Amino acid sequence: MGVQAESSNIQPETAAEARVIQESSREIWIRRLKTLAPVWTLLVMWIIFSLASPSFATPANFNNILAQVATAGILAVGMTFVLLTGEIDLSIAGVMGLSAYVATQFYTIHHLPEPLPVIAGLIVGTLCGMGSGIISTVIRVPTFMATLAMSLIAEGLLLWTSQGTQYFKLSPFPLWIGSAKLGGDDGLRSGVFILLTTICLLIGYLVLRYTRFGRYVYMTGANPSAARLAGVNTRAMVFAVLTISGFTAGLAGIAAMGRLGTALPAPQSNFLIQAIAVVVLGGTSLTGGRGGMWQTAVGLLIYGSLSNGLDNIANINSFQKTFITGLVLLAALVVNIVFAGKAERDRT
Amino acid sequence: MSSTTSSSILELKDISKRFRTLQALKNVNFDLRQGETHALVGENGAGKSTLMRILAGVYDGYEGEFWFNGKQVHFHNPKEALNAGIGMIHQELSTMPTLTVAENLFLGRQPLTRFGSVDWKKMQRVAHEELANLGFPEINVNLPLGTYSLGIQQVVEVLRVILSGAQVLIMDEPTSALSPAEVERLIQLIDTLRQQKRSIVYISHFLDEVMRVADRITVLRDGQKVGTLERQDTTLDQLISLILGHEINATLPSVLPEATEQDHILLDVKDLSADVFKNINFQVVAGQILGIYGPIGAGHFDVARAIFGMYRFDQGIITIDGKKLPDKFSARQAIKAGLAYATESRRKSMFLDEPIFRNITLPHLSQIGTIVPNQAQELKVATPAMIRTNVQPPDPLNAAGKLSGGNQQKVAIARWLTFPPKVLIVSEPTRGMDVGAKSEVLGILRTLRNEHYGVLVVSSEPETVLAVSDQIAVMSHGRIVAQLDNKGLDKDSLMRLI
Repeated sequence: MGVQAESSNIQPETAAEARVIQESSREIWIRRLKTLAPVWTLLVMWIIFSLASPSFATPANFNNILAQVATAGILAVGMTFVLLTGEIDLSIAGVMGLSAYVATQFYTIHHLPEPLPVIAGLIVGTLCGMGSGIISTVIRVPTFMATLAMSLIAEGLLLWTSQGTQYFKLSPFPLWIGSAKLGGDDGLRSGVFILLTTICLLIGYLVLRYTRFGRYVYMTGANPSAARLAGVNTRAMVFAVLTISGFTAGLAGIAAMGRLGTALPAPQSNFLIQAIAVVVLGGTSLTGGRGGMWQTAVGLLIYGSLSNGLDNIANINSFQKTFITGLVLLAALVVNIVFAGKAERDRT
Repeated sequence: MSSTTSSSILELKDISKRFRTLQALKNVNFDLRQGETHALVGENGAGKSTLMRILAGVYDGYEGEFWFNGKQVHFHNPKEALNAGIGMIHQELSTMPTLTVAENLFLGRQPLTRFGSVDWKKMQRVAHEELANLGFPEINVNLPLGTYSLGIQQVVEVLRVILSGAQVLIMDEPTSALSPAEVERLIQLIDTLRQQKRSIVYISHFLDEVMRVADRITVLRDGQKVGTLERQDTTLDQLISLILGHEINATLPSVLPEATEQDHILLDVKDLSADVFKNINFQVVAGQILGIYGPIGAGHFDVARAIFGMYRFDQGIITIDGKKLPDKFSARQAIKAGLAYATESRRKSMFLDEPIFRNITLPHLSQIGTIVPNQAQELKVATPAMIRTNVQPPDPLNAAGKLSGGNQQKVAIARWLTFPPKVLIVSEPTRGMDVGAKSEVLGILRTLRNEHYGVLVVSSEPETVLAVSDQIAVMSHGRIVAQLDNKGLDKDSLMRLI
């Protein structure tokens, strides 16, 4: 007596249906082209800007681009971890500002020897991330709200402790990180900062790609209930990625302060949007489980080239620039989501 | 077998329905009289749901005639059916728990004042009167519906459908999620509706309830109508043998003795209670498969989830291989204690975009090599497990989502073969599989049992439980109603117990 399937969601499985769809080599190529959509976006952008402006495709300008995106790059490393788990961290701008300010205060007011002030700043950033982590995993406030609250707390502490005072006398260590050249006087401008960002991206890449933890981060974002069934402590993963993001926010804050040469008494909120834009531009999914550090590096270059390229085109004034940046970002995101989203995942 | 009578308000003539290769219904005739409760019974897959969906307007592609109130009709969607006067009470209630009882009753049809605002007073008054008419004057129509039990929520759903103008109510497994006391109340409600001359199509697996509420019973088997019986001329035994299509074996099996001391008890569940199940007691012994059978909604899947730390329970003690689990524990702790769980939902347990080998190795990464997962080492673990479960095609680099459902299920079990747990819990191990895949999966479970692991199989398919279990616990309405040795058991003995 055969048992029939009544509803469409329980289909009987026949030998024909058990067949697996085999990809032809042509389909594999199309899929690769689609997964690499961010890379094509970047190349097209470089070609257009090179044609539009002779000053764009020069080594000096490439150095500019890297220096301009170094801060967003460090932030994006932490943000990549967070977005891969399907969560979000809205606190990074506030945490950046607070960490940098704490580092300066420990140097200028409390006269701690180097590199303790910087370490103190990093600890503050990490603690902020852990705080968000505890609020969201123990009290179960969604990370969207938990990190928004943390953003206000960090910003509030910054305003409160600074009382609006801006410091111009910084400790030499952050100044060195933020603005020292690499390779002598003719070397890479902001070389140390660029190197730091590269190291962060590389470590992030290695952790995501080659460690158990990295695998758990992906799985938590891809399918939380399946991850729990397999014994992954998904809440610990969320706590960990928020902690990482807090640390990178602190690091980015201190380095950015060194580059700027001053400790600001208020957060620079545009870095939050930049960090999220960079990660998503690279093709990392906002819903988690898809993307990686390699994609973030590409996204970073897209963002930097776009912002810098528009500066290089003479007939776009700075008042139009934000509008055009918005349009181009939108176009790039649409391309990435339409193509990369449909293509099968190619991770890290 | 009565066919058309003058009092029939609804009649289906020679209804047939195909799904691609599957003949779901073949020349089925059905009629419903004014004020009658007519039950539809049959095994899973007999065609009950298909017939019910045609009645409710969910399916519009079928052959045959549909007569309602003396006119031939053809509904294209549930809304048309409801406008004509046929309303369905769904298994999953479609009410809004945060709105008040009155708001739910008038959802989308609130009475208005002459200024166009909602007439709250009238709404509350009418809601109260109508509920009182059904015998529920004690329901406070101003409380959020979610504050009431599922049974009351169902009463509200029934009234909502009546208030939208339904003369004919289709009830799909209305008692499956209810406690015994709530079932009694529902039966009273059906009596009241009968006195109000409403007609009800009643679909249920619970044959004792069917015998109490129905005036007539239509039995379907393999998409065909076997017969329509007058309830008072029918016995439960006759009904079961008609459903199964053969004479039943009238002797009930004996009750199983408690596990003796020399049996190695791997999983001991004592007095486990939660909202949807009560006082669950059973043991899984090494080298034994315990099957828990129950109709959908009996609470057996939630018991499995609770044992694995994924469903909150109020009380009870779970002991794994002599070690008691804490009062509150996570799935991770359950795994560490020696449990593994393959759910009935593959979508919730698999990483469909990920290659098969990663689906298999994820729980064991800490046992495979160092902190750095190494693809070669992972493949060394995953490939033999895939070969053992005969996953087709046997390419561990393939994405799990590209496999057929049966092969995905094999991967879900393959996951636990290299580093086996003490007890493997599998919900619906063979759902939607063809015969070959079914016997392969059941064969794997038997192998685990022969290697002295414990296996707990939870299913709503009696065939599966009967085919693989050493012992069978039968659940109904959140309670274990019997635990038996699987000797001389067959489908009818299980169906009598629920």
